[in-house]
Amino acid sequence: MIVKNQTLNLEEEATQGFSLKSSSSSHNHGVQPLGNLLLNNKSHNSRNSGLGNLCILTDDILIDILGFLSGTHLGLLSTVSKSLYIFCNHEPLWRNLVLETLKGGFSFNGSWKSTFVSAFWPDFDIENANFCIKVRNFYSDYLFQSWLCANLEMKSEWLETDNIKRRSGISVEDFILNFEEPNKPVLLEGCLENWDALEKWDRDYLIRVCGDVVFSVGPVEMKLEEYFKYADLAKEERPLYLFDPKFVEKVPQLGLDYEVPVYFREDLFSVLGKERPDYRWVIIGPAGSGSSFHVDPNSTSAWNAVIKGSKKWVLFPPEVVPPGVHPSPDGAEVACPVSIIEWFMNFYGATKNWKRRPVECVCKAGDVVFVPNGWWHLVINLEDSIAITQNYVSRRNLLNVLDFLKRPNASELVSGTTDRVNLYDKFKTAIEASFPGTIDELALKAEEKSAQEKKMTFWESVTDAKVGGFKFSF
Amino acid sequence: MVIKHMIEDDCADNGIRVPNVRGEILSLVVAYCNKHGPVQNDSEDNSRSDELKTYDADFVKVDQATLFHLILAANFLNIKSLLDLTCQTVGDMMKGKTTEEIRKMFNIKNDLTPEEEEEGLIWKNLVVASTPEGEEEFRGENQWSYEIW
Repeated sequence: MIVKNQTLNLEEEATQGFSLKSSSSSHNHGVQPLGNLLLNNKSHNSRNSGLGNLCILTDDILIDILGFLSGTHLGLLSTVSKSLYIFCNHEPLWRNLVLETLKGGFSFNGSWKSTFVSAFWPDFDIENANFCIKVRNFYSDYLFQSWLCANLEMKSEWLETDNIKRRSGISVEDFILNFEEPNKPVLLEGCLENWDALEKWDRDYLIRVCGDVVFSVGPVEMKLEEYFKYADLAKEERPLYLFDPKFVEKVPQLGLDYEVPVYFREDLFSVLGKERPDYRWVIIGPAGSGSSFHVDPNSTSAWNAVIKGSKKWVLFPPEVVPPGVHPSPDGAEVACPVSIIEWFMNFYGATKNWKRRPVECVCKAGDVVFVPNGWWHLVINLEDSIAITQNYVSRRNLLNVLDFLKRPNASELVSGTTDRVNLYDKFKTAIEASFPGTIDELALKAEEKSAQEKKMTFWESVTDAKVGGFKFSF
Repeated sequence: MVIKHMIEDDCADNGIRVPNVRGEILSLVVAYCNKHGPVQNDSEDNSRSDELKTYDADFVKVDQATLFHLILAANFLNIKSLLDLTCQTVGDMMKGKTTEEIRKMFNIKNDLTPEEEEEGLIWKNLVVASTPEGEEEFRGENQWSYEIW
């Protein structure tokens, strides 16, 4: 990566062409991308001289090594040289330390390092002692990219394409016929009109109603008020995201403030009662938080309703693997780039040249996105956002779900429940009990259809040995 | 996994070249993989895991250059357990040392200005003055020994 030298201000030079988040309190100490080294007269990289023998190790390896150190040792190491100072101030290291030692009980005060220091040395005056070394001639793609992704705003050109089908006030039959059955995404407007949540759910209300209840935030659990404090101050590549599958059980009032839109009322996993897999989440996060490319679990379909804020969506159909994404052949693991912003920086452009372009949109408060089963999707919050999402099984994808659950590697793939292996049996039995004959009826219809079309099911095509791990679309 | 991919992609007919890894390093890596490779059944787990721990502890008793090349090899060949072992070893080398000792150990030039060194002192005094026991407990590490810098 090369960024043009035009001014004396190192940070300005390096970020030409990108707009940074305003009032960015995190500085990158003058770290430049490696490409700049090629353009500068000085051929020496102060990174190396400050690392001694360690310089032969790559940046990511060095960060891995530093990841084994406690806060004390990390802090001491930062006093050894300018180079080590820069590495030891890599915020993700301090984030891990905070989350490991304090779990969700931290009070974020602007940076992970100062959050850690305040927690363990409360008398320490962090303001005065927060020395900041600036270095010259320090080149590192890894560190520069990491800082850039943490501070970047979404470029307007990434938000321009909005080609999803939008519908307002259509009938349930219309939705099933034109979108659910053919498995196509759609953005539905105006179907949240009777949601109290749209008016009521501001921060004050939520904090009042939720009190000291803790919600799932990444690897830890936090009180809502503490999470909001963090969300307001955080400038990160991957902000912690509040994503809780038990929010109604924890705070029943929240369940009363919304209802499932009419299109999605058929909810066959409900036959399992309390044993059903996780199916509904409240999602709260700042700008930059979101989910990188994935396919929803258990072959379910989903709807996602924005209550506050706005989200950018990028969706690919099941047979088109997004650029930069590498699922393992059995679908159990998906390798993705570091962050959503990095995906936009490095891979979004490639989609413009593909024959099968992604479906994209910006979803605003009051809108609902329907995510058909098997579709890849990536979502990023463009501002502070609050949303509710649910996954569901209707008769249209019942057979797919049953197929998925009875896969031999169900124990790895099935999610949202602690009883993975038996879910297939339980679900099938429960469906037969509540809706006798349905499965056979659907199977018959499907056979007739495929006799005409001779198509492979999505899961069969993904695991086909001849095809290999992933497919290309040019 | 890297070599496995090369084999699957039919690049391995004439032997596999591993250009980034020197011969003597590669032979150490192979020894490690052979030791750790075969998976035993559960009943032997405890004694085998002790045996492996001893093996690992001895395995990393090499000079710094070798250790760093092992790290690079493990990274390139994508052998996670070896990478973790070797990185943890370097991490352990850094613990409980003074700033000067670390510089000597890794041959690092002190490029901090006197002002910057002063500020570094603030941090050093901070950690000497207090007892981060809670933190150590969580991290499962040994008691940190205090020294006057």
